[in-house]
Amino acid sequence: MRWIVLLLSLTFGPAQAELNYELQPRQIADGVWLLQGSTDNFAQSNGGNIVNTGFIVTEQGVVVIDSGPSKRYGEAMRQAIARVTDKPVLQLLLTHHHPDHALGNQAFADVPIAALAGTRRLLDEQGEAMAENMYRLVGDWMRGTEVLLPNQTLQPGVLQIGERRLRLLELSGHSGADLAILDENSGVLFAGDLLFYQRALTTPGTPGLDTWLRDIELLQALPWKQIVPGHGPLALDAAPFVQMRDYLGWLDDVMRSGAERGAEMNELIRTPIPERFAGISLSRYELIRSVSHLYPRYEQAQMQRVDR
Amino acid sequence: MDLDWRSFLLLALLAVPWDSWAAQDDPVSSVMWEYHHARLLDGAPYVFDERIVVQVPPFAEDARQVPIQVDASAYDGEVVRILAWAELNPIAQIFDFRPGEQVVARLAIRIRVEQATPIRAAVLTRDGLWHIGSAQVDAAGGGCTAPSVVRAEAGWEERLGQVLGKRYPLADSSRLRLQVAHPMDNGLVGGIPEFFLNQAELRDSAGNSLATLELFAAVSENPTISLEVKGEGETTLWLRDNNGNEFEAAF
Repeated sequence: MRWIVLLLSLTFGPAQAELNYELQPRQIADGVWLLQGSTDNFAQSNGGNIVNTGFIVTEQGVVVIDSGPSKRYGEAMRQAIARVTDKPVLQLLLTHHHPDHALGNQAFADVPIAALAGTRRLLDEQGEAMAENMYRLVGDWMRGTEVLLPNQTLQPGVLQIGERRLRLLELSGHSGADLAILDENSGVLFAGDLLFYQRALTTPGTPGLDTWLRDIELLQALPWKQIVPGHGPLALDAAPFVQMRDYLGWLDDVMRSGAERGAEMNELIRTPIPERFAGISLSRYELIRSVSHLYPRYEQAQMQRVDR
Repeated sequence: MDLDWRSFLLLALLAVPWDSWAAQDDPVSSVMWEYHHARLLDGAPYVFDERIVVQVPPFAEDARQVPIQVDASAYDGEVVRILAWAELNPIAQIFDFRPGEQVVARLAIRIRVEQATPIRAAVLTRDGLWHIGSAQVDAAGGGCTAPSVVRAEAGWEERLGQVLGKRYPLADSSRLRLQVAHPMDNGLVGGIPEFFLNQAELRDSAGNSLATLELFAAVSENPTISLEVKGEGETTLWLRDNNGNEFEAAF
């Protein structure tokens, strides 16, 4: 019996080893660091590390952008930050309330957690359910994770920290309350989930694709030099904007033209994905989700009262 | 008595015990098939049939509004009745549809699912055989016991029975799409008794019945339904809920 246990522990031991995000901060500009996640879906294999987070080391200390999908991720972030600077963490800024960006907040309980007023409200409303769903999707990585609400409200404008001028934009196209952060010193734009790149965009909280398209216009007009999308690789040119506009336009057209001809949801979710989007991860999966989120609005816009 | 190939096939089918037939050919994995077969189809002869197309999303993004589409038009002119159910739902039955000659054997509707479940459409043809179409939908669940969205909206009582709709011309028929304002309370949410649309009839301009549709409480709030009717003639849809409220819409 004992040797069976031994054999099993040898066979499965490594897989059961401590869950570790192995975060590798990458310096992308003077004082600006990126923690890039995969473009996959939430899974046990990645612990929900499908998201880009980052931090900026100023003279005074460290400003952190998003806390990741779990308490464990937030803690790993703190350790990663401590590996590259001995300056203290000053503040956490949340780009929006979605679980992959805001469920690591517990690791930042010792500093102000700042977000737009709308982000706090949405996290308060949806946080519990989102955390529950994350436990279902990624399992033990989430252990100990609880929703921690922001305790500081951000206003759009310039946030000066040490020598850094961070321009904060209050937008809404992705989640209903989206913060974009331009570090004016380095030209790095942290776009949050207003930009997805090489990864299909998600629509559960969007006020509408037209609003999202307008937000993208605004962002593109900023004096950025590098773009950190919420998901997908860092970009040095406008490629993420081009792809987002193309993809949002396609999604809008699928549903608008579908509603005009009276298509059913089950017909729309089988729409062929255009060849030019072949490199975008999870486009079929996200089309199915987006049709569920958004098609009812397009349908209702097409129909009239027919009761009598 | 002259036996054509169909009769031979039927005899061959009858020679196989139904249980073993089901176990071998069921396209979805189900622990409830036998139960529903006995309860809803009275244990009558059936075949699993790929020509009955049941479309669902692979997963339910919103367990309160899962679109399903049943297409039995491969048997157009032969279809007597279409029953649909979600096998693992607390309220399994979705609809009982009897399309007349002027109505295509095709119907789309949205439902609530409580967990991942097979969806079945049983199509009775004139020869007395049930043709079973199947699909599987994955779900995190909770759609049947989630609090009502409609009841949380101010003034929903005033909108009760309002119908949004439109008639869309197709190649050789018209699709009638509609959404009826109704909470469709299924009795599974605390303190709210069953209150749902349970009867509908599509009629021509002279008031003759073109199709009847019985609905069950698995149907989502604000039911969204698509029917297809042949010809150009004007039609009306009559609806009634289990409290006796009647509504009517013209297409």
